[in-house]
Amino acid sequence: MEDLILKLKQEIIEVLNLEDVKPEDIENDIPLFGEGLGLDSIDALELIVLMEKNYGIKLKDPAVGKEIFKSINVMAEYIKNNRTK
Amino acid sequence: MLGIKNWINLNSSSVFFKGTRIATDAYGKDLLVSLYRKYINGYPKFFKMDPLSRLGFVACELLFNSEKVETLQTDNLNEDSCLILFNKSASLANDKIYNETIDNENYFPSPSVFVYTLPNIVTGEIAIKNKIYGETSFYVIDELDATTIFNVVSSSMSDTNNNRCICGWLECSNEDNFNAILLMIDKTSDTLFNIENLRNILNYK
Repeated sequence: MEDLILKLKQEIIEVLNLEDVKPEDIENDIPLFGEGLGLDSIDALELIVLMEKNYGIKLKDPAVGKEIFKSINVMAEYIKNNRTK
Repeated sequence: MLGIKNWINLNSSSVFFKGTRIATDAYGKDLLVSLYRKYINGYPKFFKMDPLSRLGFVACELLFNSEKVETLQTDNLNEDSCLILFNKSASLANDKIYNETIDNENYFPSPSVFVYTLPNIVTGEIAIKNKIYGETSFYVIDELDATTIFNVVSSSMSDTNNNRCICGWLECSNEDNFNAILLMIDKTSDTLFNIENLRNILNYK
């Protein structure tokens, strides 16, 4: 699980162009949106693409996406249980 | 009468401010990042921008930075300013990048790249950062033409709500090949804003 979390942080930093952010700067439990990393709605769409491209997970229901992107821990847990690649 | 207060020429390998070369240590897209880190900073949105927006953003910030130094302003006051830009390739640089994300065998369209597939997005980025509340326009024309730019800018500046205009050429064919020649026009500066002076600046090498 630790490996997946680190990989996920690296992927998020790359795909969202968080140039000055390092994996260790992202806490596992902080919200990714709003107060946490300060991501916006376009970033959310980019995370949906990331989930499909890298893990074969298609998120069709926006409400599910809102739950999954609560934190790195929640996201990693969902990937672990639903990945197809 | 309209005057030219400041101008900047920023291309892939060099930066000139009012004809004086500024020392640089990088080329192409790395040059823009280098200038951002050296003179701007504190605006992480820069790294999410497309090549054209990065170019316009950096060129404008350098233009505004000189203004802050000259007037001892601590913040930009641009409520009576307008922004009018021109180029010939529209958002081609970013369009190519987006096209790569919709390759048939690897079809993952990028939302964050897609939002920049219009050239006028750069005017929005600059206006948001600098609180420019006046006109923002982006014209795509066949070639760099001083007369066209002069006529459009003069017309906009005839509006009494506009006391200052950031205008000029912002061309970017790909992330390593670009040329920005931006001018700050106002109603008080001594260097006359006319076609001849504008042409000299636009053709400055």
